[in-house]
Amino acid sequence: MTQEIKILLVDDEELVLRSLEKTLLRAGFDVQTAEDVNASLAAFEAAQSAGEPFDLAILDLHMPGFDDRDDANAGLALLNRLIEADANLPVIILTAFDEVARAKEAVARGARAYFVKGREASLVELVNRIIES
Amino acid sequence: MPSDVSLAGRRATLLHAAAKVGHNVTSILDPDELLEKTVDVICDEFGFYYAGVFLIDADDSGDVGRRWAVLRAGRGEAGEAMMAEGYELEVNGRSMIGAATGMGSAIIALDVGEEPVHFKNPHLPDTRSEMALPLMVGDSEGDVRIIGALTVQSTEEAAFSDDDITALQAMADQLAIAIHNARLYDQNRQLLAQAKRRTRLLGAAARVGRDVVSILDLDELLPTMVDVICDAYGFYYAGVFLVEPDPEDPDRRWAVLRAGRGEAGAAMVTEGHKLEVGGHSMIGAAAGMQGALIALDVGEQPEHFKNPHLPDTRSEMALPLVVGGTSGDARLIGAVTVQSTEEAAFDDDDITSLQAMADHLAVAIRNAQLLKELEAAHAELVRTKTYEALATATLEAIHWIGNKALPITAGVGRLVEDLNRFPPSSDPGRLASMHEDLEMIAESARLIVSVQEHLIGPAREEQPRPAMAEDVVKDAAVRLDIPANVIAYEVAPDLPLVRADTTQLGRAFGYLLQNALEAVEEAEERRITVGVALADDDFVAIQIADTGPGIPEGDLDKIWAAFYTTKGAQHAGLGLSAALRILKQLEGQIAAANRPEGGAVFEVLVPVYDGPLLEAALPSKRKVLLVDDDDAWSRFATAALKDAGNEVVRSADGRVDLKPFDLILMDAVLAHADSRAVLEQLAAEGAGDKTLVVASSLRVEDAMQMIQLGAQDVVLKPYTAAALAEVVG
Repeated sequence: MTQEIKILLVDDEELVLRSLEKTLLRAGFDVQTAEDVNASLAAFEAAQSAGEPFDLAILDLHMPGFDDRDDANAGLALLNRLIEADANLPVIILTAFDEVARAKEAVARGARAYFVKGREASLVELVNRIIES
Repeated sequence: MPSDVSLAGRRATLLHAAAKVGHNVTSILDPDELLEKTVDVICDEFGFYYAGVFLIDADDSGDVGRRWAVLRAGRGEAGEAMMAEGYELEVNGRSMIGAATGMGSAIIALDVGEEPVHFKNPHLPDTRSEMALPLMVGDSEGDVRIIGALTVQSTEEAAFSDDDITALQAMADQLAIAIHNARLYDQNRQLLAQAKRRTRLLGAAARVGRDVVSILDLDELLPTMVDVICDAYGFYYAGVFLVEPDPEDPDRRWAVLRAGRGEAGAAMVTEGHKLEVGGHSMIGAAAGMQGALIALDVGEQPEHFKNPHLPDTRSEMALPLVVGGTSGDARLIGAVTVQSTEEAAFDDDDITSLQAMADHLAVAIRNAQLLKELEAAHAELVRTKTYEALATATLEAIHWIGNKALPITAGVGRLVEDLNRFPPSSDPGRLASMHEDLEMIAESARLIVSVQEHLIGPAREEQPRPAMAEDVVKDAAVRLDIPANVIAYEVAPDLPLVRADTTQLGRAFGYLLQNALEAVEEAEERRITVGVALADDDFVAIQIADTGPGIPEGDLDKIWAAFYTTKGAQHAGLGLSAALRILKQLEGQIAAANRPEGGAVFEVLVPVYDGPLLEAALPSKRKVLLVDDDDAWSRFATAALKDAGNEVVRSADGRVDLKPFDLILMDAVLAHADSRAVLEQLAAEGAGDKTLVVASSLRVEDAMQMIQLGAQDVVLKPYTAAALAEVVG
């Protein structure tokens, strides 16, 4: 069952991307990665057209935005677009920003959870819980 | 009757006498001296026993119908006696003088018994003949003005011949001119003195303007002001009061003495001399009405307030210091008192000049005050900007560390799994070594992440705000699950608010309490005492004392260094160092000491909040449920909400009927319940939407959890009515 779960993983830090990808793959998920907002959207739309949409997305916040410039809120903008395209898509924010205001903002815009890098230990557990519900 | 022979002689005598009068008298410029000399010379030269000069009272303003000729000079004792009485006769009245002054022509009584106009004078019983001659001057338009009359009296009947009359009238005319000139001279002298005085006043005002108005330092401005005023105007005392609100009664204001001339002034300033605005003192009344008050004889003025420091004052003026022009905008900032040792020391020119000067001074004071406010605002801005710059830099650092640390821990996790599932070696020693290596890597990474938290975390954003120190420390203790039988609180009543970032302060208290908890782990009697009290006007002191082993004397300085630990590898030794950094950030202090009875005590000083307390626009007529213990915060929130006209109910665990409430305010930290469970319960009953969670320390995971559990929002705990209004409104 978990073989079919597709996760979109977005982060501009190569090491983070690769490390998380490995962890998720080992947990049995199908993972596709993207390093910026444009690439993410492209991947998302391609998956939708192919009839194999993503089941969950994990997004960083601070990365190159739609205009390719580094933007602390790029992740939130991407979140909006993804939710617009698929209102039921569970999105988890995984970011270095340890800020309550940002966390509330993300949740208000539709994110399911907000993790701070360095304290993401229960991330996989959460993914499983979301998928099972 | 004189014979023809002595007629010529008599005429000569008369001419001579008239000339002598003219000569002696008309060159005298002082009017009083002139008149006195006149009556003496007339009597001496003409042989009359009495002569007197009446002048029509120039000050007569009221009743135009009646005017009086007042005796201004009289020969001998009789003359003196009559002048002392203020002897006067009505112009056009029934006396000879009255007739002479009324008609402007000479009146002669050659036998006073017969004359109908005669008015017998008890001072001059020997008079048998009398003549009253008008004193007249012509003005530039050719009109003649009667300024008075001359009386000459003789003890003989029919004492005056026609020649006498002619000579005397001629002399009277000269006399009139002389009197007129003397008066003019006197007037000119006065005008000149006035002009000189005015120049001096203008000079004084200019000097005050020049010396004083450009001083922008209030502490220098006010003392200089009083000195310059006294020197320039010649007063013996001047004082400047500034208006301050009454700390307890918003409807009362006080004029507080800020500078005063000399020792008296210095003594009064030190005493804190102040007068109520609108009260009974001159300063109080002048300030209250925003108008100048003058006492030209301080004995009589009802507003006068006799000051023991200034016993020589005879005249006083109180001037308000007002900026902003007339009516609406006008703002009273203080008042000035000037005092003189002379009575009636101020005339109208003085008042105008001093009021103009006071207006300039008001502007100067206001400028100095505004400059001070501007400097404070600027300092605050610099502090905020520095804070922001620091925060941005540290955020970048945090961001970087988080990104670099994640691959380490994640990678180690995978390696450990692989090691277990697919051992690369059958040698148990080697496997164990590999596990240990991986554990060290992971531990190191965890420490790096916690360093990020402890060392850089303290420098993060969030503005300091008014807060209750006693509430923040209590929350920190509850979060650490310190058992109730281990911890005791001693909180002073009526503590002022402190100025702090409560998340940071909570963190600092957390470190200290954690430290205390560990110190008492092995102690016989496990006790942590938290005391909260006012240290002085500027700081609130929070003491955390423990019954542990205390701090080795030699280490009291070193404990603040990062990574210092006596507890072995378990601890990063970062807590105290982080606490120190946080307190420094908050402009507070922290110190450690050993208690004489054993154990250590840490004292934290947090600055008292001294900023403005803004107006609160709390909503009213709501039903609010407060889910919290009975503590300082719930008491404050209850009072504030009730004062605004709301119904408030408090429950320690939320187990009440929730339906009637419009709003539920829940403290994230509950001493006798699990706040997460309570929130779950509230959400289960459908009350999540109207539940606001408040926390003194706001962290991402907690906030997310609360929102996940169903709270409408999670916010920083408000400690002022204004902050509460923002949260609840």
